[in-house]
Amino acid sequence: MLALIGRAALFAGLWWALAEGAARDWGVGLVSVVLAVATSAWLWPPTTTRLSPSGLLRFLVFFLWQSVRGGVLVARLALHPRLRLRPEVRRFRLRLPPGAGRVLLADTLSLLPGTVSAGFGEDDLRLHVLDRDLVVEADLRAAEAVVAGLLGLELERPEVTGA
Amino acid sequence: MTGIDAIGAALLWIGAGFFLAGTIGLLRFPDVYARLHALAKVDNLGLGFIALGLALRADSLASALKLLLVWLLALFASATISYLIARRALARGIEPVAEMGADGDQR
Amino acid sequence: MPEWLAAFLLANLLVALRWVMRGPTQADRMLAALLFGTTGVAILLLLHEAMASPALLDAALVFALLAAIAGAAFAQRAWRDETPAASEADHDRD
Repeated sequence: MLALIGRAALFAGLWWALAEGAARDWGVGLVSVVLAVATSAWLWPPTTTRLSPSGLLRFLVFFLWQSVRGGVLVARLALHPRLRLRPEVRRFRLRLPPGAGRVLLADTLSLLPGTVSAGFGEDDLRLHVLDRDLVVEADLRAAEAVVAGLLGLELERPEVTGA
Repeated sequence: MTGIDAIGAALLWIGAGFFLAGTIGLLRFPDVYARLHALAKVDNLGLGFIALGLALRADSLASALKLLLVWLLALFASATISYLIARRALARGIEPVAEMGADGDQR
Repeated sequence: MPEWLAAFLLANLLVALRWVMRGPTQADRMLAALLFGTTGVAILLLLHEAMASPALLDAALVFALLAAIAGAAFAQRAWRDETPAASEADHDRD
């Protein structure tokens, strides 16, 4: 119930932004919020995953900072008078459980410095890396940890291979 | 023009600069994968600066939030589309360029 | 000033579109979907400010929203039919 109230507040805020604060639209807004909460409860039942507020803050800070880094870095490469790239396709072993977390990680990595997600394997994610010296495993693991924190997911221990 | 307006205007120029850099990257990068980097990262950052610059000049907080919401949606769109393009290109057997030196560079 | 930036971005978009449409592979042509989702949205936002037209902000929002769906559909469909021989390689290779 608490989760649904939280969602209603979120959708109400969303409506407020969409209507640009216009008070006369709240009739439609109210109907929309109720429908949105109902749809979200159906598609994404509140018990499965919970967004953590502190995790969200950490994700946003990480994401904003890394996307600025990513944009600046690729822009500098693009503008460099002697363009030199050493791209590769890398396999990144996933420690997140299948589902929303993996998708969010793939999307996040596509926007972070030097990597574009290029397909899921069984338990790995293929990444196109713009320059192999630029991207270190630690950055990717940091993104994974932040996504896990946001969705309250457990990371599988890296030593464990297979069942 | 107030101080905030001036900062907003500066952010718009920075955003436009990133779009220019993205286009230059698009023209110079060697293959579709590298070009994805130019569009998915640099152009998105350009859009982020423009949305932020306009948000600072917006009349209300709600309008400012709406501008940032547009950016969020665009980010989601870019990430999804670039994933699909990269995956399909790999599945189609389009080989990524492994090494690119500067023009006339022996590498 | 925003209208000049919008014009500048439009020039950018035209150059980029012309380039990707010639692009050596089909994948390059798909980059057009990304261009509309970012540069196209930025142009709409700037015009919204320049012309003080609230409707253009809604247009930008819908554009961004549809970019994800339209881009995905475009990438899946437009790319499927053209080279039948290669379509078996459509599934991930591993």
